[in-house]
Amino acid sequence: MSESILKLTDITKVYPNGTVANRDINMEFEKGEIHSIVGENGAGKSTLMKMIFGIEKPSSGTIEYKGSEVHFQSSLDAIAVGIGMVHQHFMLIPSYSIVDNIILGDEPNKLCFLDRKSAIKKTQDLSDKYNFELDVTAKVSTLSVAKRQKVEILKTLYRDAELIILDEPTSVLTPQETDILFDQLKSFKQQGKTIIFISHKLDEVKKISDRISVIRNGVSKGTYLNEELSMDQLTNLIIGRNLDNDMDEYKTHEDFHNAHALEIKDIFLGNPEKPQLNHVSFAVKNGEILGVAGVEGNGQVDLVHCIVGSQKAKYTGTIEILGKNATKMNVKQRRNIGMAYIPEDRIGDGIAGSLPISDNLISSYYDRADINSGLFMNQKKINELSDELIENFAVKTENRNITVESLSGGNVQKVVVAREYNTNAKMMIAEQPTHGIDIGSAETVHHKLIEMRNAGAGILLVSADLDEVINLSDRIIVMYNGEISGYFPDVKKVNAQELGLYMLGVKHQTPEEIGGAMND
Amino acid sequence: MIASVFKMFGSASFWALLLRLATPILFAAMGAFVSSASGIANIAIEAIMTLSALGGVLGSYFTQSALMGCVIGLIVGILSALLISLFSMKLGASPILVGIALNTFADSLAIFILYTITGQKGTSASLKTPTLGSVDIPVLKDIPFIGQIFSGHYVTTYICWLVIILTAIMIYKTPLGLRIRSCGLNDQAAETAGINVNKMRVLALALSGVYAGFGGLFLSLNSIGLFSKGMVSGLGWMGIAANGIASSNFVILILSSLVFAVFRAVSAIFSTNQAFPTDLVNALPYFAVIVILIVTGVVKRIGQRKGSNDVVLGEVRDKHRH
Amino acid sequence: MTSKVETKKKINLSITNPKVFDAIKLIIAILIALAITFVLLLLISNDAVYGLKTILTGPLQKSRYFGEVITRTIPYAFAGLGCALIFKSGAFNLGAEGIFTIAGVAIAAVATTDLSSMAGLHPYLCVLAGMVVGAILTTIPAILRATLNINEMVSSLMLNSVYSCVSLYIIRNYMLTTTTSTIGSKDYIQSAIFGYIYEPLKITPCLIILLVCTVIVYLIMYKTKLGYQIRLSGTNAQFAEYSGINSMKLSIETSMIAGALFGIGSACQLLTQTTFFQPDKSVAGIGFSGNLLAMLGKNNPIGVVISSFFIQYLEKGTNVLYFKDQSVPSEIVAIVEGVVILLISSQYFLRSFREKKLLKDGLEK
Repeated sequence: MSESILKLTDITKVYPNGTVANRDINMEFEKGEIHSIVGENGAGKSTLMKMIFGIEKPSSGTIEYKGSEVHFQSSLDAIAVGIGMVHQHFMLIPSYSIVDNIILGDEPNKLCFLDRKSAIKKTQDLSDKYNFELDVTAKVSTLSVAKRQKVEILKTLYRDAELIILDEPTSVLTPQETDILFDQLKSFKQQGKTIIFISHKLDEVKKISDRISVIRNGVSKGTYLNEELSMDQLTNLIIGRNLDNDMDEYKTHEDFHNAHALEIKDIFLGNPEKPQLNHVSFAVKNGEILGVAGVEGNGQVDLVHCIVGSQKAKYTGTIEILGKNATKMNVKQRRNIGMAYIPEDRIGDGIAGSLPISDNLISSYYDRADINSGLFMNQKKINELSDELIENFAVKTENRNITVESLSGGNVQKVVVAREYNTNAKMMIAEQPTHGIDIGSAETVHHKLIEMRNAGAGILLVSADLDEVINLSDRIIVMYNGEISGYFPDVKKVNAQELGLYMLGVKHQTPEEIGGAMND
Repeated sequence: MIASVFKMFGSASFWALLLRLATPILFAAMGAFVSSASGIANIAIEAIMTLSALGGVLGSYFTQSALMGCVIGLIVGILSALLISLFSMKLGASPILVGIALNTFADSLAIFILYTITGQKGTSASLKTPTLGSVDIPVLKDIPFIGQIFSGHYVTTYICWLVIILTAIMIYKTPLGLRIRSCGLNDQAAETAGINVNKMRVLALALSGVYAGFGGLFLSLNSIGLFSKGMVSGLGWMGIAANGIASSNFVILILSSLVFAVFRAVSAIFSTNQAFPTDLVNALPYFAVIVILIVTGVVKRIGQRKGSNDVVLGEVRDKHRH
Repeated sequence: MTSKVETKKKINLSITNPKVFDAIKLIIAILIALAITFVLLLLISNDAVYGLKTILTGPLQKSRYFGEVITRTIPYAFAGLGCALIFKSGAFNLGAEGIFTIAGVAIAAVATTDLSSMAGLHPYLCVLAGMVVGAILTTIPAILRATLNINEMVSSLMLNSVYSCVSLYIIRNYMLTTTTSTIGSKDYIQSAIFGYIYEPLKITPCLIILLVCTVIVYLIMYKTKLGYQIRLSGTNAQFAEYSGINSMKLSIETSMIAGALFGIGSACQLLTQTTFFQPDKSVAGIGFSGNLLAMLGKNNPIGVVISSFFIQYLEKGTNVLYFKDQSVPSEIVAIVEGVVILLISSQYFLRSFREKKLLKDGLEK
């Protein structure tokens, strides 16, 4: 230990739009340690890592690698000196084979031609050496999320990385898969590799780290030995106050007579040999939040497409929204009978980036009578409404005419949630509603969802964040492989570990038990 | 009439005509293919063909060497293609808008250049211009039927088929091809694998300029050495349509270009026949492209339920999210 | 929050304000284009200073010239308005050229029919014929896109060629002139020609039609539900779907309005600039220019009309110059146009100046 491999001095990063992501960061990493960097979403962890990996350039400050100052022009330079990175969003090409993904950018060749034979041998040997259990000729599109992550790690090993950065690697894994990953990280450490582990999950950080660095609001709050730091101290360093995780106290329990806001019967999607959704049935009652847990890619996205009425999903089965048969309805008709939708990909599906905030705040009900008058839209009304929502949801902006794309992620999400909230819908689909946004915004979003629930709306919460599902939901279903693998009528009686077993398909309830999701 | 169609398909001259008329479409299609494979749409194929055709004629006229004309035409092709990379990648304009702009004023630009350099208006007919001409292939030319089809073509037609083979190898069998395609499929993945995505795209666009340049030279430097206003007449767009049908499959790209050429050949033969209305026969190749797009559109719709890929730009992109 | 809004009320005139920045960009782009023109004139003309001066002031030399600029602006402005609507909705239908031609056939058919009993209405019936044909045929690429995902650029360009051939066929076989050897229709009946509402500049009612249409397009785009849907779809089509916008219906509606504008534009061209219809000459190039004019005006209706005037003004100026100096062809205007369009479409053009300012503000905060 104690031999420094990477040293950051006074690193500041200002983005062209004026956002300050990091300010005067000083940090040192030692060879052969597992060094965690923690901080809430939006604290500037990812930006810092991008600078280390050469994707972004610091506005000021220096990076020293193995004692000499480096100025990476691109990730190519970082890779060349032995830095590897496993990104939060996998950097893989699904239509390529594993081996093509791994060798990309550093291909073995013979007389200008690709030498696939030796590439396959080399990568297969590497995979076997670390017990990754991969067939390197398989296409990446056929792999599970956990296996894709292994491919990402193999990519760094193929290039002999000595310093491996993992950005939120556990966010897509079940607790069981996380344990396997941690074992692997420890074995890398034993071989002298340095691991930078980025996470906002404190229990994991405590479990794996040698040392921990904390970032808050783009500023470093110091580096500590793991054993010196208690969980409470760590939490305080990260957010400067204690977390208010338990949403239970905000919930009220009025009787909505078990009426169903949403009823899904026997939904089937895809071809019969490999269905994306295999006869899924459940109901969301008025005045409850039904959580959908599951590893990404087990049918949640398709399920949402079906319920929203996207043209992409040609399903069979029936969908009833607030007692009306919506099976044949398009998005507009479903919205008209009381559906609202917070999409996962807020930039791609939730906003029109280059239009003003006010335009983005009315898109779900632009044809409503109160904001139209005769032939024209009532701009005065729209402006009033926008100002009201901006204030009510604490959207940080100078005014309503600013383009929505210039806002931060958390504020963009507040715009989306404010709009959907304001539809007064009694059936809401919230897909990853707080993914990747800062804690303050996430709290606003959570409170508004609870508020809608208390007012009698049925909310379907789809989230990869198990903590969020457990904290917010009244009941929970788990999806595995396009089916419901588990149903939990009382959220107080489950824990993350238990859900993980169903998410992985290790456990599977009987049809009778799962039937409760519809009939309770 | 049906009998005459059968007779036509049975004649060697028809197939020879087909190979000749397919050449510019094939070049245009490869030009569109290689740039869209790298993830940047080049819809200015038509413009590049126009400017290269002019460059070829002027080069050949001033040097009195068809070969030099060819070289100059290709350089013009590369430079015009790089205009797209300059404006879209360096200056942040949408490549589609840049393409529309280039296509729309390429003709005027060509006329302007032709006029200011040579004083000719709209056509270079009165300039004495050496051409690349055609070649007979020894031995092959003496084989009956086959020889008639495959021998005696313009040099550019033979170059075209050579280029097709080389391109297929480049795309599927070399590290360069793997890299170019990765930039189109997931540019962030390529970037983090240490590939300079911009460099790849500039390279792909330059290549696309070479292909489209050859397409333009085929039109202007083959038999009589002539540039005239509007001579590309939609051939570049046919190549772009073929690329759309192919959705990143090189074999389908070549096949659909050939199918378009069949209709050009039929149209060319029928237009000399007094029994058919010339104007409508002239419309046939263009109409056929639309019909073929509709047919393939229907087939694709039935074949795959998710039909969200753009038919022209070949965007069957993998989602960026995992 | 509200107090913050109040204090920010004073107008920000620095380049950090996007609107100010865009205006500066436009001015610099035009200056660069004029500088390029001047360099070209130095290379090709006998007297570059005189050349540039004539291009810029030529149209003002005679009131007749200026009147011509206005009359010639009208059809181009209609092409630009239609294209702007289509582009704004996120589609790249490049079919204006073909629509101008095929609508011309319908207009010529009405214009060559003796409707003297309807006297004053005749030209307007021609306009109506153009509108109907334009509105119907412009929807084809939109429908192909919405149903089969066929790229509208390719289909519209192929259709341009088809329409051009079909127009020739119809004129040749059913309406061919007997007085000259060119391929064109018979002469229009006198009652179909637009009269003048302001004799000295030869201004026709077309100008009023254009101004009314510009206002209507502006209102549609920025003040109505339809316009809201167009802007939303044009910015993010996927988001528009989730907002409940029916993309097929919207693109058909947009295309119909745009097609009607193309039809009117074609009629304005034919009934003021020609006496009989030649499919390959009478309206050639106007539709394609429409695509560029929409880009030049940044899809804003008023911007499009101003751009059309600007380009026609330069064209006339070049024409005036050509009378005196044959070395300068009128295509030089296309170069000015191209340079300005490419520069103002470039997001990063001059951006570094603005970013430096923003960066400074960011560091100071």
